[in-house]
Amino acid sequence: MAFDSARNLSAVVIGAGLNGLTAAATLAGRGARVTVVEKGEGPGGLMTGAGTGELGQFVWNLHPDALSEFGVSPADLGLGPALPTVALSPDGRHVVIEGGAARFADGAAHPDAAAYRALRWRVARFAAVLAPLVRMAPPRLGVGLMNRAGLPELLGLARLGLDIRRLARDDRREFLRVILSNAADLVLDAMPDGPLAASLAFDAVLGSRTGPRAPGTVLTLIYRHLQGGERYRPEGGMAVLAGRLARAAEARGAAIRYGAEAAGLVVEGDRVRGLRLASGEVIGAGLVLSSLGALPTLRLAGATHFDAEACRRIRQVRAEGTAGRLDLCLSAMPRLEGLPATLHRARLLLAPSVAALEAAFDPVKYGAVPGAPAAEILIEPEGAGARLSAIVQHLPRAPDGGWTTEAREGVIGSVVAALAVHAPGLPDLVREARLTTPAEIEAATGAPGGHWHHAEFAADQLLTLRPVNGMARYATGLPGLWLCGAAAHPGGDVTGLPGRNAALAALGAGVRA
Amino acid sequence: MNRMARETVSPRPRPASRAGLIGTPFEARLRALSTAEDWMDWAGCLSPRALGAVETEYFAIRNQSTLFDVSPMRKYRVTGPDAARVMDRLVTRDVSRLAPGRVAYVLWCDEDGMVIDDGTLFRLGADDFRLCCQERQLAWLNDIAWGFDATIADETDDVAALALQGPTSHAVLEAAGLGLPALRPFGMAEPEPGLTVSRTGFTGDLGYELWVRPEGALALWDRLWAAGVDLGLRAIGYAAVDIARIEAGFIAAGAEFQPIHRALRPSRGRTPFELGLGHLVDLAKPHFNGRRALVRHAKDGPRRSLVMLDIEGTKPAAGAMIYRRGRHEVGHATSAVWAPTAKRNIAFAEIEARAALSAGLRAEIYTLKEGRWERTMTRATVTDRGVFRPPRARATPPGRF
Amino acid sequence: MGRAAKFDAIVAGGGHNGLTAACYLARAGLRTLVVEKNDWLGGAAVSRELHEGWTYSNCSYVCSLLRPEVVRDLDLPRHGLQVIPYTGGTTFTRDGDYFAYHSDRHALEREIARLSPRDVEGYERFALAVMRQCRFIRPLLLRTPPDPVAPGPRDVAELVYLLRRFHDLGPRETGEAMRFWTASVGDYLDGFIEHPLIKAHLAGSGIIGTGLGVYSPGTAYVLLHHYMGEVDGAIGAWGFARGGMGAVSGALASAFRAAGGEIVTGAGVERILVENGRAVGVALDNGDEYRAPIVASGMDVKRTYLGHVEPQHLPTDFLAAVRRFKIRGSSGKINIALDAMPRFLAAPEGASFLSGDLHVSESLAELERAYDDWKAGRWSALPYLDMLIPSRIDPTMAPPGKHMMTLFVQYAPYDLARDGTRDPAHWDEAARRGFADAVFDRIEAVSPGFRDLILHAEVRTPVDLEREVGLTEGNIFQGELTFDQLLFNRPVPGYADYRSPVKGLYLVGSSAHPGGGVMAAPGANAAREILRDAGRRCRAERAFRAA
Repeated sequence: MAFDSARNLSAVVIGAGLNGLTAAATLAGRGARVTVVEKGEGPGGLMTGAGTGELGQFVWNLHPDALSEFGVSPADLGLGPALPTVALSPDGRHVVIEGGAARFADGAAHPDAAAYRALRWRVARFAAVLAPLVRMAPPRLGVGLMNRAGLPELLGLARLGLDIRRLARDDRREFLRVILSNAADLVLDAMPDGPLAASLAFDAVLGSRTGPRAPGTVLTLIYRHLQGGERYRPEGGMAVLAGRLARAAEARGAAIRYGAEAAGLVVEGDRVRGLRLASGEVIGAGLVLSSLGALPTLRLAGATHFDAEACRRIRQVRAEGTAGRLDLCLSAMPRLEGLPATLHRARLLLAPSVAALEAAFDPVKYGAVPGAPAAEILIEPEGAGARLSAIVQHLPRAPDGGWTTEAREGVIGSVVAALAVHAPGLPDLVREARLTTPAEIEAATGAPGGHWHHAEFAADQLLTLRPVNGMARYATGLPGLWLCGAAAHPGGDVTGLPGRNAALAALGAGVRA
Repeated sequence: MNRMARETVSPRPRPASRAGLIGTPFEARLRALSTAEDWMDWAGCLSPRALGAVETEYFAIRNQSTLFDVSPMRKYRVTGPDAARVMDRLVTRDVSRLAPGRVAYVLWCDEDGMVIDDGTLFRLGADDFRLCCQERQLAWLNDIAWGFDATIADETDDVAALALQGPTSHAVLEAAGLGLPALRPFGMAEPEPGLTVSRTGFTGDLGYELWVRPEGALALWDRLWAAGVDLGLRAIGYAAVDIARIEAGFIAAGAEFQPIHRALRPSRGRTPFELGLGHLVDLAKPHFNGRRALVRHAKDGPRRSLVMLDIEGTKPAAGAMIYRRGRHEVGHATSAVWAPTAKRNIAFAEIEARAALSAGLRAEIYTLKEGRWERTMTRATVTDRGVFRPPRARATPPGRF
Repeated sequence: MGRAAKFDAIVAGGGHNGLTAACYLARAGLRTLVVEKNDWLGGAAVSRELHEGWTYSNCSYVCSLLRPEVVRDLDLPRHGLQVIPYTGGTTFTRDGDYFAYHSDRHALEREIARLSPRDVEGYERFALAVMRQCRFIRPLLLRTPPDPVAPGPRDVAELVYLLRRFHDLGPRETGEAMRFWTASVGDYLDGFIEHPLIKAHLAGSGIIGTGLGVYSPGTAYVLLHHYMGEVDGAIGAWGFARGGMGAVSGALASAFRAAGGEIVTGAGVERILVENGRAVGVALDNGDEYRAPIVASGMDVKRTYLGHVEPQHLPTDFLAAVRRFKIRGSSGKINIALDAMPRFLAAPEGASFLSGDLHVSESLAELERAYDDWKAGRWSALPYLDMLIPSRIDPTMAPPGKHMMTLFVQYAPYDLARDGTRDPAHWDEAARRGFADAVFDRIEAVSPGFRDLILHAEVRTPVDLEREVGLTEGNIFQGELTFDQLLFNRPVPGYADYRSPVKGLYLVGSSAHPGGGVMAAPGANAAREILRDAGRRCRAERAFRAA
């Protein structure tokens, strides 16, 4: 059987982020000898800042197929119950979203609750259509669909077609209409602008260098809702989750080496033979799976192994992170007005309207810091005090004049000021504030441009175009070298799918070779 | 109200970029010699199709010697520690076997193994190359060189070039005090500072190409011209060269193949194998552009073949469709000529690969006979490329004529 | 009660698409009436003398997309249409330089090389890539989009045709096509060209008429809408209609009358009459009533179904979809009578490229900022300008020695923001002057003394375009050209075949596939569908099959 021969395979996976770990678990679970090399001191990659400090704060979209490769069930991960989302409102009437239902924090019914629910359901139905597509390599279009070799492709497409057919006719029409449309129109066609509308638009742009009016953001929104769109906060934080997954991968037989930096590939006869570490050590392997971005992978392998066209496409991948992270050490849990204490530990959204979200993105295009950035916030008790962490959406990667102390304090100040509207005592509680900019995220994790998804999540960089035309099916062109990170299909977020899909693709080819 | 918009502008108008054709450094001599006034556009340069009668110019190539201005060729200089690696990455041949002071005919391909262009590669030094070709390659060379330590410079306007071709061409060089008796084919030399002479050409006959700074162009011309008076030296245009190159079996971009970067229809691309130039592809060397695709193409075999056809009769088969057994269309002629020296009616033709082996090919030739078009289906057979390649072209030292 | 009469077909709106459809119907033997609310014909394709001696193409201003099949079918040249190609163009910068787009290939290459030698090949690659997409998409313009959701037999055949075309492209080109359809014009250009000014020059066509910025995904496709043009078989060429854009409508009207059609002007459709779910005619605002079993509307989809059909005749979800349709006013127009040819400081005297399209821009970032202004409800402080001086080529446009300038301005909002509210009523005299000043300042910077040459200027904001031409929000394309409103989604999903929930009521304007521009394709396509329902064949049918 095909998978038996994986027993003779040795593979190296570069990076112990979620995708690297998933790839390793997938390979190891099928009998391959797998070594994961991780530059940082701990697992988790972007989730945890490669061991330097948490960069992500929620789990959502984690795919069951990826989890099953680790041999763990969601229950083993200590994810706890889904967190409610609170969309903070400037007028103090915050909106609580729980299980797809929206209401005011004071318990009153929200006038747009029905519209919101209908839209969430619709998005969920669309997500179900796209669900098979993220579990496989993107279909190869325009080739051999009419011959025998193209049959599996054709079947894959036919299946997608069937899934679309399964939608009600109106849904089908709506699906084909909105699939490349923009989130702002989708949401505002359903409800008036405000915090509730912005909560969906926020999902559509989180981590991307885009505003909600950009066509294509509906696709991101649907992608975000592949697993229902609920957020989870792992018990003990993301590092604990990453540690659990790393141990699970090890239990499957993968060896993980921390502090081991990949420095180059060993290539003989146009085939990968191993990986060279910065220490000079060479790990022999017929397969190398890189969870780095496309350009770092290309640089690691050396341009010499790639055609100039491939190099050009990879150079042109848009990857400019615009999400940063703000950490505030607080002397006590802050009190948010208009919000019951039970909801203080919810996922708080600072995005008063879709329009405000778009306006927060505009300055970033020109290297300026928005005056009122949008943010996703989590407050947790820590010791005697509390820690407030915020993903600040829309920060320039390299602002004019650089990330000076003033620029940093400006961002910190504007987020604190925006929160202080609801928590008047907050500024006095801040003992320490730390902003991690996209550039610092890049330095810590190697993510190109500090971008969450290693490559902008936009329609012209998705599916068969992710990361670039001609490399969408995880193979890089250099036999034995595969892409298994967020830059590959289906893309970023804590899904584990690129790692899983790439490992399966690599095994398929490895067997044939 | 709109401060930014009101800022003033520089008062000096800039002349518009020049339209039309621009003369080469040899323009003055060419204009003076032209009686035909038959000019053509060669890469934006004013270039003679013929200066006088094409027949006379052609026979001068085969019998005496000729000067042809090849300055419009694109010339790129690639230098730096990685220059050799970059060139090896570009072309399908093994550049490591090209010694300094030698020249090679090369082709290069895109990622699908389709030919981008062909040209001559001069190894001026260990880390110093000059590439001469038809198409602009500046951006492409930069793409190829990305990630390598090499510098690309466009020398097209900095180097004037003359092709001195014909059996008496070395005698002309000698008379001009530039004799290079030991120079072998595809070798080059610098007989004087600032003047490079390579034993290369596009006629299949004994010949040289001379490379000089534009300032020295006219002086070089005059020197050769004076030396050639008694050796039958003529200045010629492209029409004569075109006849000679078909006779010699050399392909031309735009005729025998469509450079893939200029092909609106991607299917018009051709592999080196399909052009009959598989011997110039070294699949054993490390990765170069298009190698993986070429490995596949080598395995799958060509879809079409570029062949030389020997056609009955004397009417050139320009544009002729080629049929097998008189019925099945299998291809078309890409360049055709009555070969005046070989005395054969020949044509380059692109035909289905299977048909290249079969007998019974026919060329459909239309001829205008005094106001009336006649169509003939003429017998055609595949023949060796290069129906006229005299031994004198390769003799070292070269003969006097 | 006014006049009443019976016809086979009535076309509401005498714009170029309405007239095109009317021509096809009349030539197929239907007794056809065109009703137009204005006293003149043409909709947005008009020539008007608003200043004595000058002819203004005061809405649309160039002729590039007009389908040659339609011109040939309807014999428009015999009815007076003459399209004069112009080539070249220039983008001026504030620092006194310019990039000239020369018609001469060598001059263009030298001009590009002057700014950036590598971009010569980059531009070649770009042009080739766009041409490849044009070759792929052009045949679709004169085809009715299939319904992929509830396909009938013809839809299936059409879908197979589309799939086949994709299949013929091969995997890489299919990928490139997908990228082209989804990328922003800015990102797309970034992939080919390095120099900001060359990019700024080329990007303009991606945003003209849209509520999108140069970095909004989907704008690369809009580029195509402008590149697809062809004049006299030369693909990508642009031209002026001799005598102004009214010549297009004039020729169509003449062809229509020659085919026996009747035209009523100065009376607009007040109501499309519907009885038992069937269109039966129109009631005009002057009280006249005409009856016909076929009513074709050249008005945009919102105006047609929300303004002129009583809602009880239309399903609610259809109405909801029409309300959702995005028609965003984003551009203004200024038509100017000039006392003399303006002098552009940077350009040499008599430069031929001044006969083409002139712009003042710096970079894609600047164009994006112009878009941000519009999003916030302001006209762009540094707008994108598309200026043409047709009188340099067409002597009929202005008295000798004088000139006519048509000036297209991107962006100008429909509902202008003031004091925190957005309202079209904010477009008062002061606002219009401010808008014009922003534009004139921009020109004055590269052509000092420009203002002094202005003898008369007609400033047209989106509100004016809506009021006079009837285009909702003054949107020149009768609806945004984004994927959610293209092909089978245009105007609304399920009704891309020009039909409506009301039997006998059709949409023939730019709100329908393939969209805006003086293309005449929606009119021709709609006529084909109308005649198919009526059991007649027309010449468009042949054009359709030949395509």
